[in-house]
Amino acid sequence: MSTESIASAIRDAARSQTPLRVTGRSTWLDAGRPVRADQRLSMRDDTGVVAYVPGDLTLTVRAGTTLSEIETATREHGQWLPLDPYGSPDGTIGATLATASAGPLSSSFGQARDLVLGVEFVTGRGEVVRGGGKVVKNVAGFDLSRLITGSWGTLGVITEVTLRLYALPKVDRTFSISLSGGERETASLLRAVIMSPLSPFALVLLNRRAARAVGSGDDAVALIRFGGNESMVSAEAAALAQVASPREVESDVWQRLRGFDDGAATVVRISSLPRQFPGVSARILADDDPETRMCIDPRRGLLRLAVGETSDVDANACDDRPADISGSVETIFEKLRPDVWKDVAPSAISDPLSQGIKRAYDPHNILNPGILGDLS
Amino acid sequence: MTESAHRAASTSSAQPAIAERLSEIVGPPHVLFRPSELLVYNSDGLPGYRRQPRLAVFPGSRDEAVAVVRSLAEEGLPFVPRGAGTGLSGGALADDIVVVGMHRLKKIISLDVENRRATVEPGVVNLRLNRHVAPLGLLYAPDPSSESACTIGGNVAENAGGPHCLKYGVTSNHVLALTVVLPSGEVVELGSKVGERDGYDLRGAFIGSEGCFGLALDITVKLTPRPQTVRTLLADFMSVDAAAHVTSAVIASGIVPAALEFMDGPTIRVVEDSIYAAGYPRDAEAILLIELDGLEAGVSADLESVRRICLDGGARNVRVARDDAERTKLWQGRKKAFGAMGRLAPHLIVQDAVIPRTKLPEILATIHSISEKYGVLVCNVFHAGDGNLHPNIAYSADDPAESERVHKAMTEIMRACIAAGGSITGEHGVGLDKMGYMESIFSESSLNAMCELRTVFDPERRSNPGKVVPIHACKEWQAVPAGRVDLSTPRALQAEPPRPVAQ
Repeated sequence: MSTESIASAIRDAARSQTPLRVTGRSTWLDAGRPVRADQRLSMRDDTGVVAYVPGDLTLTVRAGTTLSEIETATREHGQWLPLDPYGSPDGTIGATLATASAGPLSSSFGQARDLVLGVEFVTGRGEVVRGGGKVVKNVAGFDLSRLITGSWGTLGVITEVTLRLYALPKVDRTFSISLSGGERETASLLRAVIMSPLSPFALVLLNRRAARAVGSGDDAVALIRFGGNESMVSAEAAALAQVASPREVESDVWQRLRGFDDGAATVVRISSLPRQFPGVSARILADDDPETRMCIDPRRGLLRLAVGETSDVDANACDDRPADISGSVETIFEKLRPDVWKDVAPSAISDPLSQGIKRAYDPHNILNPGILGDLS
Repeated sequence: MTESAHRAASTSSAQPAIAERLSEIVGPPHVLFRPSELLVYNSDGLPGYRRQPRLAVFPGSRDEAVAVVRSLAEEGLPFVPRGAGTGLSGGALADDIVVVGMHRLKKIISLDVENRRATVEPGVVNLRLNRHVAPLGLLYAPDPSSESACTIGGNVAENAGGPHCLKYGVTSNHVLALTVVLPSGEVVELGSKVGERDGYDLRGAFIGSEGCFGLALDITVKLTPRPQTVRTLLADFMSVDAAAHVTSAVIASGIVPAALEFMDGPTIRVVEDSIYAAGYPRDAEAILLIELDGLEAGVSADLESVRRICLDGGARNVRVARDDAERTKLWQGRKKAFGAMGRLAPHLIVQDAVIPRTKLPEILATIHSISEKYGVLVCNVFHAGDGNLHPNIAYSADDPAESERVHKAMTEIMRACIAAGGSITGEHGVGLDKMGYMESIFSESSLNAMCELRTVFDPERRSNPGKVVPIHACKEWQAVPAGRVDLSTPRALQAEPPRPVAQ
């Protein structure tokens, strides 16, 4: 598959006003608002490395390349793309960027859009557009890479991306701390860790239900991942042992955590100011809701909830923020029962600027129509 | 009106009709329209270009800024946003139109230590923000070399970088939210001050839009904890090539220095002759200034690895700054290097191309041969760790023959960087200076997509017209070419009575 063949398919669809459901490997089709589309445009066959110069720490791949393929290609050279979104490692890089998906590593390495150096995409008119470039620093032209990342395929179909890579750390160790000690103990532990000069690659808190799901025992836990040179990681591990009783665990727990919301009917991200997270997290974890899987990234100020195995979830359950988070919050819904979207979160692009950009890039409204909301 | 009549009208010192209305908003001392008063605004940090603005207005508050933009919108007048005027791409040049200077909006509106963020007005000087948060153990990471003068608003417009962006990222990585007045006068919030938001990344699209999408009224930035340990190392080399290879080797090793800066022999000697003398070895052909930061234990181990890579790669000497005073001195020489070039000639042209880091040795050799071909002295002082080159040539813009050689050499250097798979600008912006290269790195449809994005933010394309994307690349704009606007036209004279002065 080539960019030109995708552009040609989109031009055909534009001519006949045929709405397209743009997909990668279809591992996450139940996310986002319902899409009204007659045809599917799958990127799954458009795979492969276009350019990889390890010395530059940059990688250019076709959009259908999977995250696990990228991992294999880069690990061979002692490098990695530090992006660990929830979901299957068989998901494609194109879909990962289109949905701006990121995981626990993002509090150290940045969000999906921070790792993108350049994109090639095809607009809803079938025009091939490139933004950014192949070098690690670039301000030439307006920032189309950031605009396209997180646009859920509604402004253009991503065909190729250039990514920033990092060297794999010499040492990569993960520790688990049991949070069974109650609210006050958990809060003070979290404050101690967050206020310390420790700079873990990742730090997440799991409630009991989530801890069980990833095989981390029966208690709520904190998972902490340190990476770097030998002496740095040793120093960090020693410092952690001063404030808690960490137990070293295999790093494959992070792989299992990516499957955290498997089978959930409702997945919601709630973010707010990081300051209140130690207290809020401690309360939430002490309360222990047996129905809800919770993963908290206190440094990023993010609480991720996965509810229910079936579709009998009450819409109100996901509309309610945990009562503990005070002040303003931002709520992002990833998965909801199809019929509740219109009441809970009808649109993420209702403002005039977003509507204007959508109209400019996809004037026939044929790219994933509805997935971020409708044009007014 | 004929072209000559137009010029005559627009260069007169008569008070443009809009001046009175703007004076009502900001107060008469903050509206300039006499050519002599405007001289200082006829250039920015880019030498060799002068454009005389017709009028300059300096709002003193957020409400005044909004009222000014609304007045300009009602009159259909184009304008150029301006921060401190330190930009190096001509982005703040205003050709016979209005300058809206934002430097009076300099309040640090709020500082939230626990959440590590601050909200500032656009005219806050970068270094002032850093001095303000330093006692709290925090820093604002983007550190352009002009940090002592440039404003956060200007940094946002240009998506500014700086030496420490190698590890910490550029402006876009550190801005959480913005309040923006669009060229129409409408005020919008982009991004979120409290968390993460879905939908299009309008914040990301605005940052680096070089004043073409509107004006930031306030900016919420992320603050970074100051590292526990900072160590700065100076390695000197007897060949440019060896230093270039060591740069590639450090990057390939996986160590991410906080900064990795390169200065070649001519630069070293100019700096050492100047008041910014930093104690660099005068006889070296290149030095690398490498900074490592983080936890003490990790930094010490990396420092040892970097020292080894430098020595193995042919460094003559590797010196580690003993204390903060020595560190500051080493950095002073680097950050003031462009200023020191003033010793060589009255003007300095600085390029900002970026190349893949493995191409560094090859490109530096190419630059050397281009400089010999044209008989110009190229000094190289740049962010080597990012592959962000700053070849610069000191010359006299008043000597036409020399100017021509300098511009030919610079063009050839730029072509070589593009051919190596690079970009035309890493942190200075396209502005006016690099617009001519946009078509060599972007296709017609890519440029058109940029025009379309700009049109959404600024349908009348009145904000910083004629910058970044060449007009002829914009399909829908070709029909109506952007022209100069005569500020004393009858339409402006017939303006509605001024509204009450905003407080």
